[in-house]
Amino acid sequence: MAYAQAIFTNSAIYIIAAIGLAILTGYTGLFSLGHAAFMALGAYTAGILTYFYHWPFVPALLMGVIVSVLVSLVVGYPTLRAKLRSDYFAIATLGFGEALKVILENLDITQGARGLPGIQKLADPFNTAVFMVLTVWLCRNFLRSTYGRKIIAIGQDPVAAEMIGIRLLPNQMLSLAISAAFAGLAGGLLAHYITFIQPAIFSMDLSSLLTAGVVCGGMGSLTGPLVATALFVVVPELFRGLALWRLVLYGVLLVVIMNLRPKGLYGHEELSLGNLPKLFIIIGLTVGLTIGTSLYNGYLAEWGEMPAMLLAAGAAIVVAVAISYVGRGSAWLLRPVLPRISTTWNRGFTRIVHLFDGVLAPGERMAQATASIDSRRHANTAASDKPLLRIQGLSKHFGGVVAVDGVDLDVWAGQVVGLIGPNGSGKTTVFNLTSGVYPIDSGSVMFDGKELVGQSPTSIVLGGISRTFQNIRLFSNMTVLENVQTALHTASDYSLVAALVQWPWTVWATEKRLRDAATGLLRMVDLAEYADRVAGTLPYGLQRKLEIARALALEPKLLLLDEPAAGMNPQESLELVELIRRIHKRTKLTIILIEHHMDVVMNLCGHIAVLNFGRKIAEGTPDDIQSNPLVLEAYLGKRAEHAALG
Amino acid sequence: MLLQTIVTGLSIGSIYALMAVGYSLVFSVLNFSNFAHGAIITLGAYVAWAIMVHFFRLPFIPALLLSVGGAGVLAFLNERIAYSTLRRRHAPSLYLMISAMGVAIALQNLLYATIGAKLYALPPVFAEDIVEVGEAAISKMDLFAFAFSFVAIALLHFVLTRTKVGTAIRAASYDMEMVAVLGVNLDVLVAVLFLIAGGLGGMAGVFMGIKYMVYPSMGWITNKAYIGAVIGGLGSLPGAIVGGILLGLLEALVSVTTIGSVHLSTYRDVFSFGILAILLIVRPTGLFGRMVEEKL
Repeated sequence: MAYAQAIFTNSAIYIIAAIGLAILTGYTGLFSLGHAAFMALGAYTAGILTYFYHWPFVPALLMGVIVSVLVSLVVGYPTLRAKLRSDYFAIATLGFGEALKVILENLDITQGARGLPGIQKLADPFNTAVFMVLTVWLCRNFLRSTYGRKIIAIGQDPVAAEMIGIRLLPNQMLSLAISAAFAGLAGGLLAHYITFIQPAIFSMDLSSLLTAGVVCGGMGSLTGPLVATALFVVVPELFRGLALWRLVLYGVLLVVIMNLRPKGLYGHEELSLGNLPKLFIIIGLTVGLTIGTSLYNGYLAEWGEMPAMLLAAGAAIVVAVAISYVGRGSAWLLRPVLPRISTTWNRGFTRIVHLFDGVLAPGERMAQATASIDSRRHANTAASDKPLLRIQGLSKHFGGVVAVDGVDLDVWAGQVVGLIGPNGSGKTTVFNLTSGVYPIDSGSVMFDGKELVGQSPTSIVLGGISRTFQNIRLFSNMTVLENVQTALHTASDYSLVAALVQWPWTVWATEKRLRDAATGLLRMVDLAEYADRVAGTLPYGLQRKLEIARALALEPKLLLLDEPAAGMNPQESLELVELIRRIHKRTKLTIILIEHHMDVVMNLCGHIAVLNFGRKIAEGTPDDIQSNPLVLEAYLGKRAEHAALG
Repeated sequence: MLLQTIVTGLSIGSIYALMAVGYSLVFSVLNFSNFAHGAIITLGAYVAWAIMVHFFRLPFIPALLLSVGGAGVLAFLNERIAYSTLRRRHAPSLYLMISAMGVAIALQNLLYATIGAKLYALPPVFAEDIVEVGEAAISKMDLFAFAFSFVAIALLHFVLTRTKVGTAIRAASYDMEMVAVLGVNLDVLVAVLFLIAGGLGGMAGVFMGIKYMVYPSMGWITNKAYIGAVIGGLGSLPGAIVGGILLGLLEALVSVTTIGSVHLSTYRDVFSFGILAILLIVRPTGLFGRMVEEKL
């Protein structure tokens, strides 16, 4: 029994660290190679505090968490600043792990390589279990908040995340801090459970165990890493003779999983009634193996090797199959009631949420929040005597190629402007310069009275210009609704602490508001019925619409659409024209549109600018453009002046 | 004394550079950190140990050549088994990094599980290793390692700038898709890439083995090479060379420094990490790095 307790406690401790790592590596996509170092920080801080300074257990643990978080920020800041280069971060964590080991081996207070023996045994299966449940709950809450969605978005596509106004550095640092906090907690618990720590414990082996747990469990799930880490603690216990091969196995598993099944055990799923059989199969295999090995050890002396082996294998198979069939059976029994259970659950939950926003949420606050959204939405209608966007002398070279050459363009509030031109004429580059993706060589971009040159892409987005991409960039593993909800991050104002505990008065109320707003936007682009579909599984045309809805969620004053009708058939592009017209009518939104489908452009745009070889060669109404000889020449060549355009 | 330190620094620095070049070369084309590079280097050293000590008693030069070849082939197999599927699937670089880490963990522990944790020495190249220059005692091996690394890197430069394959590799570091469209067989290109990177790594492994010892976790020294490569600018070859040598020199200088009663040599690894952190704050692209912009 004591043995089982030890295995349980060990698993729980490693699960806490692995869940933290799941946030960092699984969800945010940052690869930490020395995560054990953060456990070491927690272990040593808490251990020293209880050992030398006789602090009580929980404050010491908390101090360990704080130290781990602070150090993680110091390590993370320089490396994460170089954005889109997660390699720097991986190498830095590797270097940090080594450096910390050297420091721990040489400080007096850590007693060098000998370590700290005789730490009080303050952690037990019960309080460790409590901490584990708390960890899972906090992480789950975090992931279901605005903060979590931002991090998940960065993990799925950092460029797209930036383009909906999510700043990479602070959010990646937040993810790192959270993950270091739980590593620190796990370290503190470990120190007070095994009562003896030395630098060698927090080696690469431990980091590998955690990484293997997250990767094999599924990067994008909490259930997966939890189950996989438990497996990695329990199963090797059974095969102690093969301890040396355990790490070889982790390594091979990492390669195999990445190559054959990158989603691991659970992929982007969490435990639900629907995937219950999977859990039963895993439990069945584990219990089967446990019973098998104990039978083998028990009968080895009496029966000899072969019979004992046969007995063990037979028992293991029978138990594993039996348990997995229990899972299947219960799933089969549950199937008829399953939808009802989940709808009842959802309805009940919604009712509780309603209770809070009706009775408990301060009415004034709600009204304020709604008013602020409305005021932003209608800011577009304010008339002005200056153009909303004034581009002057915009130029950009790539090496020797002049992509954009002195382009001027005025766009007035409420206009739909078409930007056309042959392939390679610099249209998308104009968008990339306006939205801050590329630095500008020379020229000026005034938007709403402010100069955009020198601003970061995120501040330009948050300043009111959002865009879609020529190659669709959705968060393809999120649902359709979540894609839009993620982009609504600017409309959410609850604190991180509230998010972590899902504080009903703020978080539930706000989340409900965000869900409603997102549903409204989906309805506007006719995607409401697909709200719960995973975005990557939508057909191409619908993905384009979703990208538009996501861009609208940022409440832009100006929307840049980069070839929204690309790859669409005539029917689809006709629908798209209607959609854009409807959006424009409803919100009076200013739109610039790059498009090759001339029917779309001529239909939608009151004003058209034509680029050729990076220069603006014409500008005017659709009629002007269609009869402009320069435009005809650019599109059709010199001798085709008589042919009509469009 | 200073001269001696500088020679030691240059020699260790040139070994870092050898490792960093292989790592940077792979990074520049495939855009991921090949964390298995250290394991390949270790295996290169074990190959040398096997043919110089354990099985045969081949002299140094043939042993070095065989280790270089062996490590090259191992790196090629590593790519075939662990990366090629992911590469063809255009998997995120995180997946490649994890797969590489898996290879590193598996190979290192395979050595522990089979050959064991014992440290093995490689025979010295020179019977009389020390030359007296003035008051300084300089190791011939250090000079030799420096010279040999230098020649190897010069050879690599020649291959990259003067041969068809080299031109293709350089082109691929800008745009792999485009190179494929132009009719270059990517599988062959990547195979050559890993043969070169592994070969240089094998050479570094042999020098490391002679200078220190051969043991399963010796590959962790590549951490320094990664840091060197980042200091120089990830993906840049001159950067990898300068970064590696610079790091080696600085470490050698720090190792002989004492502040009060504390010998800084103990904190050498902390120092290297500190340099990395400071450099990334001051100059995030490294000394020679270029920022890669993604096409939208």
